[in-house]
Amino acid sequence: MSVTEQGLLEREKDTMTLNMGPSHPSTHGVFQVVLEMDGEIVRSAEPHIGYLHTGIEKTSENKRYVHVIPMTDRLDYLSPPQNNLAFCLTTEKLLQCQVPPRAQYLRVIMCELGRLGSHLVWLATHALDIGAMTVFLYCWREREMILDLNEEISGVRMMTSYIRIGGVMKDATPGWLAKVRKFIDYLPEKIDEYERLLTRNPIWLDRTEGVGVMTKEEAINWSLSGPALRASGVDFDFRKKRPYSGYENFEFDVPVGKNGDVYDRYLMRVEEMRQSRRIIAQALNSLPDGPYKVEDNKISLPERSTLHTSMEALIHHFKLVSEGVSVPKGETYVPTEGPRGEVGFYIVSDGSNVPYRVKLRAPSFMAIPGMCKMMDGSFIADVVAVIGSIDIVMGEVDR
Amino acid sequence: MTAEEVVETVKSALGEAVQKGEVNLGDAVIFVAPDSLHKVAQYIKEDAGLKMEYLSDIRGVDYLDQDREPRFEAVYELHSFEHNHSIRIRVGLEQENPTVPTVTDLWNGALFPERELFDMLGFNVTGHPNLKRLIMPEEWEGHPLRKDYPLTTEDVAFSHNRDYKSELVKSKPPTR
Repeated sequence: MSVTEQGLLEREKDTMTLNMGPSHPSTHGVFQVVLEMDGEIVRSAEPHIGYLHTGIEKTSENKRYVHVIPMTDRLDYLSPPQNNLAFCLTTEKLLQCQVPPRAQYLRVIMCELGRLGSHLVWLATHALDIGAMTVFLYCWREREMILDLNEEISGVRMMTSYIRIGGVMKDATPGWLAKVRKFIDYLPEKIDEYERLLTRNPIWLDRTEGVGVMTKEEAINWSLSGPALRASGVDFDFRKKRPYSGYENFEFDVPVGKNGDVYDRYLMRVEEMRQSRRIIAQALNSLPDGPYKVEDNKISLPERSTLHTSMEALIHHFKLVSEGVSVPKGETYVPTEGPRGEVGFYIVSDGSNVPYRVKLRAPSFMAIPGMCKMMDGSFIADVVAVIGSIDIVMGEVDR
Repeated sequence: MTAEEVVETVKSALGEAVQKGEVNLGDAVIFVAPDSLHKVAQYIKEDAGLKMEYLSDIRGVDYLDQDREPRFEAVYELHSFEHNHSIRIRVGLEQENPTVPTVTDLWNGALFPERELFDMLGFNVTGHPNLKRLIMPEEWEGHPLRKDYPLTTEDVAFSHNRDYKSELVKSKPPTR
C-alpha cells in the first residue's frame, strides 16, 4: 500500500500476499507457501522448500553403503522401513544377490507396519487440521503399539534401520510375531471406529468432498504418486504391477478412486490400511523358515558363534566391519511403493565401498508443485485440507 | 513390452537421435544428446505403443572422478502405467556450462526436479519458467552436489562473541 497526496491509503494491487509457514502447524514440517489472496480465494500459491535441508545425498557420497541405511531412516521419518528397503533393493540389484524368503517376508511385515504407522499419523494430523480432535487421539494410541513392536524387534522406536543389505538385522522371535498377530487382530475394529467418526460425517464431507480436485490426466502430468494418484483413478501400484520382495505371494486389492478430491484420498488411505493388515496376516501365516540374511559372508556378517571356531568367518567379519561391502560398478534404480507413493534410490557405484551418487526419488518432493496447483481457486481454509491430503514429509522433500 | 523391445522400438523409430541403447540390469536405457532430448522425450511420451506419460524423476550426476566424457549427466526416468514399462534417458552434458532443454512443457512434474538440477549441480535448464535456487538459499555460492564442491564447515552468520572471527575451514576433497 502507498500513501496518496491526500494522505489516503491506496491499494497497489487487488490481491493480498499471505505467508503460510514455514512454521505453521498444518504444513507438517517446515514448508512455506506464499499465497496470493483475493479475499478468501487463493489466486496462486508458490511453494518454498529447503528449510529442512540436511544434505543427506551429499553425505551419502562419503559414507559406506551400510552407513547410509540409518540416514535413509531420516528421509521419510514416518515409514523408515520403506526407505531402508528401497535402498537395500537397489544395492542388492547392483550386487546381484538373492535375499532368502524369510528375510523377504520379514521385510514385508516391517514395511506394512510402517505403512500402517504412517497412515495412522496422516489420518490423525489430517483430521486434526480439519477439526476432528478425537481421531487424532485414537490414531496416536494405535501408532504407539506399532512403535512398541518396532522397539522390540530393532531396539529403536522410530528409526529402525531393521532392513539391511542382504537381509534383515536379526531374526524375529516367536514372541514378537505373536504380538504382531495380536495387533493386527485388534486393528480392524479400530479402523471401523475411525470410519464411523469420519466417513459419513457431514462436516467431514463438507470439508473434503470436491476440494483439491485433480483429474486423471492432471495427476499423471503433475507427477503425483501413491494414494493421491490412485484417488484420481489411475490403477497403478508397484507392489502389484512390478512385485518386489515377494509381494507377488500375497493377495491384496488396490483401491482406486474416481473423483480425485481430498475425500477420495482419505478413502484410499483408509482402505490401504485394511489391505496392509491383510498382507501382514498372510505373511505371518506363511512365514518361511530358513536364514534371515544371505549366507554370502562378503555381504552379510557371519554368525557371532562361528567367530571363535572358523578362521574364514573371522577374516570375513574383519573385512566387512573395517571395509564394508564393495558394490560392482554400475547404476540402477528400483521403484517401490511407499505410503506416499513411488520411493526409490538411483545409485551410481564406481566399484568401491562408498556410493558415488545417491539420489532419492521422493514422492512428497515430486507432489509439491501439483499440490500448489490444487490450491488455485480454492478457499484459504481448504489449503490446509489439500496439504493434509497429499501427506508431505519434509524430511524427504529437502533431504 | 519388455525392456529389450522398448529399446528396439525407440531406436528404430528415432534413428540417429538415440546415440546408444542398452538393457542394463533389466532396465531399458537410452543415451541421448541434449539437443535431441526434447524430441525424444516427446516421442516416447506420445507414441501409442510406448506411452510413457509419467515422469518419475530427473537426477543429475557429476562424473568428475571417473575420467569420462562428458563430465555431467542428466537422467530421466519415465513410466507407462498403461503398458507397465519404463525407460531411462541419459543425457551427457559438457563440463563448460552444462545445458539441457526443459521438459516442463511436456510434464508439469518436471518443475521442481529441474530447479533442483540447477540448484545442486549448476545445470542451465533452458526454457524453464522459473529457474532459481530451490533448496539452498538464493544467495548461496556454488553447487553442492558437484564433486569438486569441498566439504566445509559453514560460516557462522552471527556470534555473541565480539572477538569471533569466522574462518572457513576447507578440507581436502574427500578421499576414499
